[in-house]
Amino acid sequence: MGGYRFRWDVIPQNLDFLLAGLQQTLTISAITLCLAMLGGLLIAVLDMSRFAALRFLGLASGEIIRNTPILVQLLWIYYVLPVVMGINLDAWWALVIGLSIYSSAFIAEAYRAGIQAVPKGHREAAQVLGLSPLQSFARIVLPQAIRLTLPPLAANFVQLIKYSSLGAVISVGEITRRGMELSSSIFRPLEVFTFIAVIYFLICWPLAMGIRLWERRLSRR
Amino acid sequence: MAEPAIPAQPGKSLIAAKNLSKSFGAIDVLKNVSVSIDEGEVVCVVGPSGSGKTTLLRCFALLEQPTGGAVIMRGKTIAASGASTEVRQAAKRVRSDIGMVFQHFNLWPHFTVLQNIIEAPRRVKGIGRAEAEADAVKLLEKVGLADKRNEYPSRLSGGQQQRVAIARALAMRPSVMLFDEATSALDPELKHEVLLVMRDLAAEGMTMLVVTHEMGFARNVGSRVIFMDQGDIVEDSSPTSFFSAPKTDRAQRFLRQLQD
Repeated sequence: MGGYRFRWDVIPQNLDFLLAGLQQTLTISAITLCLAMLGGLLIAVLDMSRFAALRFLGLASGEIIRNTPILVQLLWIYYVLPVVMGINLDAWWALVIGLSIYSSAFIAEAYRAGIQAVPKGHREAAQVLGLSPLQSFARIVLPQAIRLTLPPLAANFVQLIKYSSLGAVISVGEITRRGMELSSSIFRPLEVFTFIAVIYFLICWPLAMGIRLWERRLSRR
Repeated sequence: MAEPAIPAQPGKSLIAAKNLSKSFGAIDVLKNVSVSIDEGEVVCVVGPSGSGKTTLLRCFALLEQPTGGAVIMRGKTIAASGASTEVRQAAKRVRSDIGMVFQHFNLWPHFTVLQNIIEAPRRVKGIGRAEAEADAVKLLEKVGLADKRNEYPSRLSGGQQQRVAIARALAMRPSVMLFDEATSALDPELKHEVLLVMRDLAAEGMTMLVVTHEMGFARNVGSRVIFMDQGDIVEDSSPTSFFSAPKTDRAQRFLRQLQD
């Protein structure tokens, strides 16, 4: 161990290559978050549906997604989906869709908690004034629920930045994958993976701290 | 204040319960209750807690589905057990004709005072923003809060919030106003300002059904007092006779306990 000579200069030499990967990582995380917000809403609506069959569908899909590993889900979408259903996704889309589905299940929980935190009386006031159930949901419940849901959504974004590294397994050129490729061509895994870990930390940690402050401020009100 | 869509006809039944029952599981909260409220009446509902007062009011507000019997407004059934399509449509038509004020105000916290008031007129009646706002300001002046129009509810005292809630209900021009213990959640010094607004409303001829513990209000403002106990209407009389000569033991006991 003592004999190892760090060669940190490999990082600036390959910085553009790695940063292009970081850009991919952030793009994938952002797109996935948007899709998962929609998917989460769908699952939450199914969960709270009047119809038992839809409720079952929402609950079952949520349970399956939450109780299988994300890596297995990604491999399944990438390798099994083409065989079973003839759906051929390139690696990038397989990652985006896989992560979106995974996050949807967690975001659905956040939505549900947010919606349930809106007092029943607010809906009753809307009902008595003649607002339709849809108007009551869109105008009264959802805007309040979203405020409570924002911190968990941001937390989910942090999760997605980290989980998008799984794209490396199905050869999506995000930062981790590029690190793997770089380290195997220049034989400098210590420098490369240390640098990548630091990058992840520098992005995720301030976000996580910000969210913590935000939540504290929300709970004080 | 603009006239309600249908002119008031004093002495004519506006809203009524007919053999109304409501159970929650095995608990019978309302047992075969019948009562009719005429236009222009201020009916105060009093009684011990758990007597079914609030549930009766919530049935009138169409917030509870009756287990038996019906709620009738101007001769039309608007709520019944196992309500038919016809009943549901009738309910939809009279929905905003019945105003309700809740114990806990239920203002929407993400809207300003003005937004709280104009929401239903705009979304339900399709009134334009300018007109709805002008009307809202008039209603706020009436409850003495025009200067608070741009505040959020959390910046107001409980009494102020309840007065906004009254203005919000009035903005739909209801023919009847239901008050569910509208002052029970308020400190004594704040009750007064809300009771004054309610008294003014009664003086204008608004039909009101008021569930209350304020015996002074029932005695001085009410035109009729209904005493409920254990899901039944036990007495239905003028305030004078109810407070000076209650007929039943239960009412006598209730009034005696209030004096202790």
